[in-house]
Amino acid sequence: MSTRNFTDLAQKESNRYVMVAVDESENSKRAVMFLGDFFGRAKDVFISILSIVPEPSEDYFATDAEQKQWVADHQVKMNKVLEGYKNILADAGFNDDHVDARLIIRQCESIGDAILEEQEKLQCHIVVVGRRGLSHNEEFIFGSTSNKILHHAKNCAVMVIE
Amino acid sequence: MSSLVIEYTKEKNVMLDMQNLTKDDLRRLIAERTGSKHVPDKFNIVADTSDFFRVEYNDVMVLADHLYWVRSYEKEGRFGLDDEPKYWVRRAIDLSDGSTKILKMVFHEKFETKVGGLIIKCFRSPKKEARILDLVANHKNFMHGYGVNDTAGNNVRIIDYISGRQFCDIIVTYGSSHEDYFYNHFPKVLDQYIELVAAIKFLHDNGEKHGDIRRDHILFDKELGVNRWIDFDYNYMHGESKWSFDLQGLGNIIIFLTGRGDVLVPDLYKKQREVFDTLWGEDLNISYKNRVANLQKIYPYIPDSLNRILLHFSFGAQIFYETTNQMLDDLADARAHFS
Repeated sequence: MSTRNFTDLAQKESNRYVMVAVDESENSKRAVMFLGDFFGRAKDVFISILSIVPEPSEDYFATDAEQKQWVADHQVKMNKVLEGYKNILADAGFNDDHVDARLIIRQCESIGDAILEEQEKLQCHIVVVGRRGLSHNEEFIFGSTSNKILHHAKNCAVMVIE
Repeated sequence: MSSLVIEYTKEKNVMLDMQNLTKDDLRRLIAERTGSKHVPDKFNIVADTSDFFRVEYNDVMVLADHLYWVRSYEKEGRFGLDDEPKYWVRRAIDLSDGSTKILKMVFHEKFETKVGGLIIKCFRSPKKEARILDLVANHKNFMHGYGVNDTAGNNVRIIDYISGRQFCDIIVTYGSSHEDYFYNHFPKVLDQYIELVAAIKFLHDNGEKHGDIRRDHILFDKELGVNRWIDFDYNYMHGESKWSFDLQGLGNIIIFLTGRGDVLVPDLYKKQREVFDTLWGEDLNISYKNRVANLQKIYPYIPDSLNRILLHFSFGAQIFYETTNQMLDDLADARAHFS
């Protein structure tokens, strides 16, 4: 299975398809390492590493140029992070053509919803996320992406990696 | 020049010949609007507000063919500091009709604020405020105004001045005691608060945050007899829950209104030790540890339906509001208790 046919739904019947949603945090790295350890020797597991970077609204930027620069900077930064995660999976035994990385930079009200939209599009069997270990008031102010996914995911299993 | 004055006062939107406007013309216009004793000798005519520090008292600002005579800058208490000057916000007289306006010049500011030990990234956006001013142009619970570009393209917001005191400064004067306040005044206060939450729901339903919900951002307009939200140029970088910071602000306000002021832990320690001894950490405000959220422990006559709302903003909260709808449902239950 090559990168370009990751979305080939016909293959979903026979392959086990996992999507791991990541950012640049340590807990995301732990989630990727867990997948490497757990599925590294499996021949029919395909992993899509997804990073949704929430782009601030246009209000955040004084000029269009500043906004474009923000996107370009985050693209470079996150592509590097994703490359690192691909290497972790490669070291764990995954063939290059079993791993796909996708970076989406866009405005979104909720990262959890954006991840679930991708899950629906790709019809992956398992969604994996790291848990940030939010404090009580962090959850109050910011909300929890893993809780959102746990509560709203449909037609898939959810793994939350501590 | 007298023709200019007559023409300008006759019809608000008449085009002025700005090229040929002299300072004497403006002095005459100011005299006509405000009385000759106020006419300044020296002043500048400002059409580009990029450097708002250079806009001085008595200057005349020209914005979209309107003339504004600049008065003092506005002040705001923030981060524990009282009356910090906001140099980009000036009070001014609209020389077309003599009305008072608030002129908010462009100030892109990014900063971090701390709530409950958490750092929240905030930023100030003139674009956002101008957009919301358009959205709420017909909504009675918001300040009104509009944005115009100066000659350099800066979006200056021209706000109608609201005459009145802060809502929360008014309610603390109600009642001879908390109990008197609670039974005889609070139901009306709660109605006013529900109206204010419904106004925030209107923003959220339209995809906009207020961004800086604080009790000093509600003015009671004494002319219209309604409360109005002001200052929505702030925005914050939200996490999973887009509205949570706005909701946290609403929570702090309902706690303040219910308590007829902040019920502070140090005050209880000094003056009501027996009540202080009943408090647990979970009873405190999740954002401000020195304030009590579980007010039923202080005032036992507060009904459960209302206290449950307050507890959503306490350290002991197991669930949080995610939308104003959820909060409004609970507020309706609490209000029913007083019917």
